[in-house]
Amino acid sequence: MSNADPITLEIIQNSLQAAADEMFAAMRKTAMSSIIYEVLDMGTGITDAEGRIASSGAGIPAFIGVLDKSVQFILQKHDDIRPGDVFITNDPWHGGVTHLNDLVLAMPVFVEDRIIAWTANIAHNSDVGGMAPGSLSGDATEIFQEGLRLPAVKIIREGETDQAVMDIITTNSRMPDFLKGDVWAAIASVRVGNRRLEGLAAKYGIETFLTAVDHFMDFGERAARVELSKLPHGTFELSEEQDDGRIFNVKVTISDDEFKVDLRDNPDQDTGPTNTSRDGTMICAQMVFKSLTGADTPANEGCFRPLNVLTREGSVFHAREGAAIGFYFETEVRVYDLIWRCLAPHIPERLPAGHFSSICGTFIGGIHPDTGRQYTIIEPQIGGWGAWEGRDGNPCIFSGFHGETYNTPAEISEARNGLFVDRMALNTAPGGEGQFNGGRGLILEYRVRTKSGFLTAGYTRSRIKPWPLEGGEEGSGNFVDVIKADGSEKTYSFVSGLSLTTDDVVRVITSSGAGYGDPKDRDPEAVRADVKNGLITAERAKTVHDVTV
Amino acid sequence: MAETTRRVATDVGGTFTDLVAFETRDDGTIDIVTAKSDTTPPDFETGVLNVLKKGGIAPESVSFMAHGTTVVINALTERKGVKVGLITTEGFRDVLEIARGNRPDFFNLHYVKPAPFVPRHLRAEIPGRMTYQGGERAPLDLSGLPAILEGFRAEGVEAVAVCLLHAYSNTDHEVATLEEIRRLWPEVPVVASHQITREWREYERTNTAVLSAYVQPVAARYLGKLDAGLKSQGLKKSPYIMQSNCGVDSLEATSAVPINMVESGPASGFWGAAELGKLIGEEDILALDIGGTTAKCSLIEDGEVRIMTDYWIERSGISAGYPIMVPVVDLVEIGNGGGSIAWVDDFGKLHVGPQSAGALPGPAAYGKGGTNATTTDANLWLGRINRDYFCGGEVVADMDATETALKAVGKDLGVSTDEAAQGIVRIANNNMVNALKLVSLNRGHDTRDFTLLAFGGGGAMHAVALGQELQVKKVVVPAAASVFSAFGMMMSDLRRDYFVTQLVDLREGAGAGIEAIFGEAEAKARKTFEDEGVDPAEVTFLRYGKFRYQNQEHTTEVLLEGAVTDAALDKIAGDFHEAYEREYTYRLDAPVEMVGIHLVARAEVGKLELKPAELGAPDAGPALKGQREVDYALEGKHQADIYDGDKLAPGMAFTGPAIIEDPGTTIVIHPGNKVEIDAYRNTHINLGEAK
Repeated sequence: MSNADPITLEIIQNSLQAAADEMFAAMRKTAMSSIIYEVLDMGTGITDAEGRIASSGAGIPAFIGVLDKSVQFILQKHDDIRPGDVFITNDPWHGGVTHLNDLVLAMPVFVEDRIIAWTANIAHNSDVGGMAPGSLSGDATEIFQEGLRLPAVKIIREGETDQAVMDIITTNSRMPDFLKGDVWAAIASVRVGNRRLEGLAAKYGIETFLTAVDHFMDFGERAARVELSKLPHGTFELSEEQDDGRIFNVKVTISDDEFKVDLRDNPDQDTGPTNTSRDGTMICAQMVFKSLTGADTPANEGCFRPLNVLTREGSVFHAREGAAIGFYFETEVRVYDLIWRCLAPHIPERLPAGHFSSICGTFIGGIHPDTGRQYTIIEPQIGGWGAWEGRDGNPCIFSGFHGETYNTPAEISEARNGLFVDRMALNTAPGGEGQFNGGRGLILEYRVRTKSGFLTAGYTRSRIKPWPLEGGEEGSGNFVDVIKADGSEKTYSFVSGLSLTTDDVVRVITSSGAGYGDPKDRDPEAVRADVKNGLITAERAKTVHDVTV
Repeated sequence: MAETTRRVATDVGGTFTDLVAFETRDDGTIDIVTAKSDTTPPDFETGVLNVLKKGGIAPESVSFMAHGTTVVINALTERKGVKVGLITTEGFRDVLEIARGNRPDFFNLHYVKPAPFVPRHLRAEIPGRMTYQGGERAPLDLSGLPAILEGFRAEGVEAVAVCLLHAYSNTDHEVATLEEIRRLWPEVPVVASHQITREWREYERTNTAVLSAYVQPVAARYLGKLDAGLKSQGLKKSPYIMQSNCGVDSLEATSAVPINMVESGPASGFWGAAELGKLIGEEDILALDIGGTTAKCSLIEDGEVRIMTDYWIERSGISAGYPIMVPVVDLVEIGNGGGSIAWVDDFGKLHVGPQSAGALPGPAAYGKGGTNATTTDANLWLGRINRDYFCGGEVVADMDATETALKAVGKDLGVSTDEAAQGIVRIANNNMVNALKLVSLNRGHDTRDFTLLAFGGGGAMHAVALGQELQVKKVVVPAAASVFSAFGMMMSDLRRDYFVTQLVDLREGAGAGIEAIFGEAEAKARKTFEDEGVDPAEVTFLRYGKFRYQNQEHTTEVLLEGAVTDAALDKIAGDFHEAYEREYTYRLDAPVEMVGIHLVARAEVGKLELKPAELGAPDAGPALKGQREVDYALEGKHQADIYDGDKLAPGMAFTGPAIIEDPGTTIVIHPGNKVEIDAYRNTHINLGEAK
C-alpha cells in the first residue's frame, strides 16, 4: 500500500477533526469568561495553507465559516509570516467577520519551511472597550464606539509575546484580567492544534497531508451536490416584515449546480449597531445550505462551493466600513430565518416551522454585593423550536445560530454574579399550537441585589412572531420585562443601559416555537397530556384544539 | 492439609456472567480458577449461582466475594426503572426539562432533545431558599408536602427524588424534607441530592437524584435476591459491590444509593491496571480495555486512577444525553470493539463502528448469519487470529462468510480483500489512537513516559500497533487479560469519594477554613465506615483540592499532603500553577481560588496479595506450537511464531514476529518486538527502536 492510499487519507481526515476538537477542549477549560467556558460562545478550526476551512471544533454553527475568512485576510495583508507567529483580529473589515468582542486568533503551521495549514479560533470576550460595559450598546452609531479594533496584527512573533500589543489590548478593556486569561486560552488552543498538525505531516509526509486535505474538501463538495440535486429547482421569494417595520427580502434560486441567495433588494444600512458584514451574511446562507444538504457530513470549504450569495454594499446585509455592528447577530439570525422561512413551505421534510429565532442577547452588569467586584452577564437565551410533520418541537434549546452552547446554572449564576435567580421555568403562554405543537420557551427571572446595575438587551421576533406551517399557530414572541422594586412593570424588546437597582427583577421571556398542522387535528390524548402537564389550560385546549378536558 | 483462602469475583455482563476465583494457600501460592456462564435475566442471581457451580466453588468456602453488575446502566438505557416523583425548589420544577439547552448536532434542524425522566405533572415545588454561601434566604415550607405525596401516590409513583437549590452548600432543607417524606410515606424509597453529591449545578444534581431514584427499587431488589441466594447456599458474608469510582462498597450502602455503580464494569479493569502497575513497578500507565462493542481507555499517573464527576449517559454527537454527577473513573469510550461493523459510506469512505454485530449474529466468522465484516473478521483474515483456534477453539471460523463480507467492503472501496482487511484494522487502530490521545497528550502527558497496559478480549490484538504509534515505553498484557476486570475487583479497597463545592479564596487566613471542610468530610466518612463495622483507625484518606484562577470555571485537582494551614498555602498554590501549566501550556499571575474538595476515603477489605514466581530459563521453545503467515498491515506479511499462552512460563523470552494464543486472548507481536514473561506471567513487549 502506498502512503497516499484511501485509508491513510481517511486517517488524516479523522485526525484533522480530532485536532479541531482538541483545540476546542483546551480553550474551553482555560477561558476566564463564562460566555466562553460555560456558554461556549466560541469555535475552533483548521484551514489549509490558503485559508480554506478544513475542519472545525464543536461550538457554534455561526462561527464555522468565520475562521477561513480571517486567515485569508491575514494572508493577503502579511508577507512576513514566520513559524511561531500568532495573529489577532476582530474587525469585520480586517478579517474579523462578526463584531469587535469576538477575538480571532490564527497561527500558521510550518513544516519544512512552508505553511501547510492554519489553526485558528474565535471567542466572545467580555469587554474590549468602547462606550458601554461589555462593549455592546444599542446606542452605538459607528464602530469606534464598540471597542478596540484589531486589524489582523501579530500578538506573538516567532514564539515571543509582543508585549506592546498585549498591553494595548488589556489596557483598553474594562475587564483586563478576564481578557488576558481568555487571550492566553486562545493562544494555548492554536498551539495545541499546531503541534498535532505538525505531527501528522511529519508522520505521513507533507504531500500526503496536503492531498488528504484536498480530497476532504472535494468530498464535502460531492456530498453537498448529491443533496442539492434532490432539492426542488426554481426561484423562491419571500418578503417579510420585521419588528421595526422594515421589509427584508430574499430570492433563492436552486438549480442542479447552484444554490443562489439574492439579498440585494434590502434596506440601506442602519445608523444603529444591527448591521452585518457581507461575510456575516454569507455565513447565514452557509448555515441554511448546510442544514439542507448534509447536516451529518463534515463542514468544510468544499461543502459550500455550490453556494452563491448576492448582496448590495451599503445595505443592512453588507455594511460599509465604519458602521456599528455590535448587535450584528440579531440581523444575522433574521437573514438566516428569512432564507429558512422562504424555503420551508417548499421543502417541509427538511425544514420545520419557525423557532424563537433570536439570540435574545441579554447583558446585565453591576457590582457583586458579596465580593465587591464588577460582574457582567452576557448570555444568549434558549427558547422553543418549531414542530414538523409527526413531531412536537423541542422546548428550550439554543437558536439555530448557536449549537453546542450551554445555559448558565442558577446556582453558578448566583455565586458568580451576586444576584438571585427567582425562577427558571417553561413559558406556558398561549401560542405555537398545531397538530404538532411548537416547543415551549423560557421564563428566567433575575433579581438584582445591589444599586447601580444595568440591563441591555436586543430581542427580535417580538412583534412579528415565529411562523407556523400547514395551518399551525404562530409562536408567543420574545420579550424582556423589568419589574421595578416599586412594582411598576414594563416590557421591552430592545433596551440599552437601563438602570437597575436592588430588588428590581429582569424577566426574560422567550417564545414558543410555531405549530405544524391544524390544531384541531391534534391527537386528543396528546391534548389531555398537555393539560395534565400544565402546558396548556383546559379553556385554551377547548378553543384551539376543540378538545374538552 | 493447607488452609486455603478463597476470594471470588463475579461480574454480570450483558451476555455472560464471569467468575474468577483466587485460592491462596498458606505457603502463598495461588491458584486461579475462571468460569463463564450465561447471564440469566431477569433473575440474575441464578446466573451467579450457576457460574459458581461451574467453577466448582462452594459458596460456604468463600472468604471474600466481590460482585460487579450492569443492572443500573441496563435499567437506565432500557428505561426499566420505576415511576419517579420529583420535589424541588419553588420556581425550578422545569430545570429537569430545560436542561442545558445545547444542540450538539447543530446543523440538524430535526434534532430531538432528550426527554426528562419525570414528566411535568410529577415535578412538584416547595417554598424555601438557601444561598450559595449556605445561608437561609427563605424558610422551608413543608405545608404542601402531604398533598404533593398524595398526588404522587394516586399517580402510582414508586420512588421520590428531592433536589433543592444550593443543597450542596447547606443540606438542612433537603434533610428536613427527606425526614418529613419518610414520616408521611415510610414505604417509599426516597433520595435527596446531597446524599449523592455536594457539588453545584442544579440540573446535573437534579437529574442525578432522579436517576438514582429511578433505578433504586430495581437495584435494591436485585442485590437483595443475590444476597439471599448466595446466603442460602452458605455464603457467610455479603458480597462487596463494585462501584464506578474503582472501589467496592457494602451491599447495604449500594442498595441505598445504587447510582454509584453505574459505570462499575470499566472501573474494576482500570483499578486492576493501577494495582498491577504498582506490582510490576510501572506506575504511569495508559490502560486500554477492548471488548466486543467498545474500547475504553484511561490514564493512571503515579499509580492513581483519576476520578471525576463529569459523567453522562447517552451523550454523543447527536444527543445531549443525561448527566450523572457521581464519582466515575475518568475514561474515554469509543464504539470500536471486536464486533464493530466496517462499512463504506455513499462517498466511498471506510468507517469502523460504532454499530456492533453484538453476540448475535456476531462477526461473519461466527457463521450465525452475520453478513457484515467486523474488526474480528479482518483480524482473522490477516492471520492475526488463528482460524483453527477461534474463540479458544469453541467456534469453527466460517472463513467463507468472512471472505464474502470483506470482499463486499473491498468492492465498495475499490480495493482487494486483503487491502480491505488491512484498512479495517488501520481505521480501528486510528480511532483507538485518537481516544488514547484524548486521555494523554490532550492533557499534557507525554505518552513516551507511559506503559500501555491492554486487556479485555481484544486489547492485546491491537496493543502493539497502538503502542508503536504513541511511542510508549512498552506494552504489557496481563495474565488472564480477558477476565482482567475481575482481577481489579479483587484488588479494590472499600472506597468512597466525597466531593464538596465550597468557594474559598486562596489567601492568608484561608487555611483553617479549608482544613475544616476536610475535617467535616473525614468525620462523616469515618462514621459511615464505623457504622459498617470497619475500624475507623483503618480508614485512610487522600485529600485533593479543586483549584482554578479566579473567574475561571474548570478546576485542576491538586493532591494536598498533611494538614492545610496558612503556612501550606504557598506550596499549594505552587503545586496548582505547576499542574495547570503542564495541562494547558501556560500559567497566569492571577489570584487562585479553591472551588471545592475531593476526599478519597478507603479501607482495605480482604485484598488479594500476589507473590512472584521464580524466573525460569529464557528458552520459550516448550511453548512454541507452530508458525503461520500473519499480515501486519503497514509492516507487511511475515512468518510468525505461534506460542501457547498457557505454556509460557516466567522468565521465557523471544522476539517477534509472533502470536501468543490462549483461550481468551490473542497477542499480536510485531517484527522486532522483544517479549519477556514476568514473575506474575504478564507479557512484557518492548517495541524496540522508536521509528
